Amino acid sequence: MSSKNLQVGRVLRAGTRGFTVGCAVMQPDLPAFGSFVRVEGQTSGSAIYGLIYDVSVEDDPFVRQFISADPPEEVVRDQRENRQVPIEVSVLAVGCSDGVTIRQCLPAQPPVTLDWLYQCTDEEIQAFTARFDYFRLVLDARQVPADELLGASLLAAAAARPEGERETFLVEAGRGLARLLAGDPVRLEGLLRRLRAW
Amino acid sequence: MTLELSRLTGQVQAMGEELAARARQFAGMVELARRWLIQYADMGERLRHPARAIRAAIPTDEPFNAIHPLPATPERFTVIAADGSQIQPDPHGVALYYLVNVGSLVYRHGSGEAPEAHSEPVLGHTGTDMYENGRLVTGNLLDVRRDLAEITRLADLCAVEPSGPTVALVDGTLILWVLEDRSEEWQRAKVMAYLDQLHRIREASATVAAFISRPRRAEVTRLLHLASVDGDKNRVDQEPNPLERLPDRALFETLPPGARSALFVSPSPTNYDYYHPAGHGVHFCYINLAEEGLDPVIARIELPAWVAENPDRLALVHGAIVAQARITGDYPYALARADELAFISGPERKTFEEMVVTALLRAGMRSALSPKAYYKTLTRQGRRKYRG
Repeated sequence: MSSKNLQVGRVLRAGTRGFTVGCAVMQPDLPAFGSFVRVEGQTSGSAIYGLIYDVSVEDDPFVRQFISADPPEEVVRDQRENRQVPIEVSVLAVGCSDGVTIRQCLPAQPPVTLDWLYQCTDEEIQAFTARFDYFRLVLDARQVPADELLGASLLAAAAARPEGERETFLVEAGRGLARLLAGDPVRLEGLLRRLRAW
Repeated sequence: MTLELSRLTGQVQAMGEELAARARQFAGMVELARRWLIQYADMGERLRHPARAIRAAIPTDEPFNAIHPLPATPERFTVIAADGSQIQPDPHGVALYYLVNVGSLVYRHGSGEAPEAHSEPVLGHTGTDMYENGRLVTGNLLDVRRDLAEITRLADLCAVEPSGPTVALVDGTLILWVLEDRSEEWQRAKVMAYLDQLHRIREASATVAAFISRPRRAEVTRLLHLASVDGDKNRVDQEPNPLERLPDRALFETLPPGARSALFVSPSPTNYDYYHPAGHGVHFCYINLAEEGLDPVIARIELPAWVAENPDRLALVHGAIVAQARITGDYPYALARADELAFISGPERKTFEEMVVTALLRAGMRSALSPKAYYKTLTRQGRRKYRG
């Protein structure tokens, strides 16, 4: 359970459907695949919500030199912490807020370069997942592993709730999925199986 | 594309053949040079004086063919490297300025810590920055400023480094290269400013060395020619040198892995006029950086007298350079990173130019490229094949 906003990184590239942030080094407490994240919007109090769907580490010819060698710890830390090769975190936009109401739709404007991306607190995740309208945005997104992402996000949303509410939440989410995927029982079955993994 | 590659085919082929022929010729020279290295190994004392006159390597007390194996390094030691790059003033640009960017890396061996990486950009734009004795600070004048910025950065970092074995590394030569067409007073001022920084490094109880990758100097081979004519410098002038243009590194490719050659003194006039009197007389040697079983990689190392003449400091520099080079394979890791930190890429240069334009506009000044520079921006983007 998390109650404070953790900074993930700064926005490198952005569009209304999603954005990519860069962070200097992978840390164990940085959000993982399926995590809910937030970027502050252009107007005061507004925010754009998203789901992390990819974390990639870029390479270059210099770092490649050390793959087959056994570099000293100082070199490993230099390459990880100092070199200007960021870890890229890709985010699918799934909602926005004007500071009062959360809407599960694409934002009107993307975030701006170098805006900070934060991990959502448990309270924010609970507030965002009080509705399931964002399911459609995820299921229709072509650039992401949609089913895996939706399953991981629902498990993260369940974990953000008090223990006694988790099962009820997942059952409700399963019903929401059943309504959307009534015509695709194979896909529905796969998704529900992921939720049962709880 | 306006470079007619097809017209170069013949020239490139001729170049390849000429270089291959020269390499074959060098093979014969190397054999002779190595024979002479052994034959005249102990003639150092007799050759010291004439060697300086003909700008050959000046012998020290070590035999020419001395081999010093790789010494042990302390469990913990620090290597500090600095390197610089610059944007030259462009009279056709939106404003007249220069930029010097110095990158540095502090690498603490055996600490397990991430090295400390820094970049220090300095913008020159005032009248005092841009002109020296009425000359625009460009070319060699700017190179000298960059070299001074690099050595000053090294001295600053050595001054704040906690006590312990420390090696400051310069990329290239330790002898400041100043054009001889400048006044003697100007040359002296610049070299003395450089020597002040070497002095600060010494005062900080650190050592300093310059690293030259794939050196082309032919000073030891010139010394061998002098030895072959019994130290007679008049005969050196009159008789052809059978080792002409043979680089010293070819001579030392037989060094065992990690070993260094004998020490010699640089015959550069700047060394004798300024460095020696100040106690920083530049010595040099060659080191084989390669690991056992690999082809030799010969680098030239330059050291001030107070490092070269102190066996502990000399061993520290020798061991530290080999340790650093073996991280990457054949080039000191800290120098490679300092270069990376100093490098100003094309996109960075463009972004910086945009910053300058914005700053000028904010200050109420409209700026523009010269017509020549403007048309270059048009013709050099998305070039088409020349159809003339």
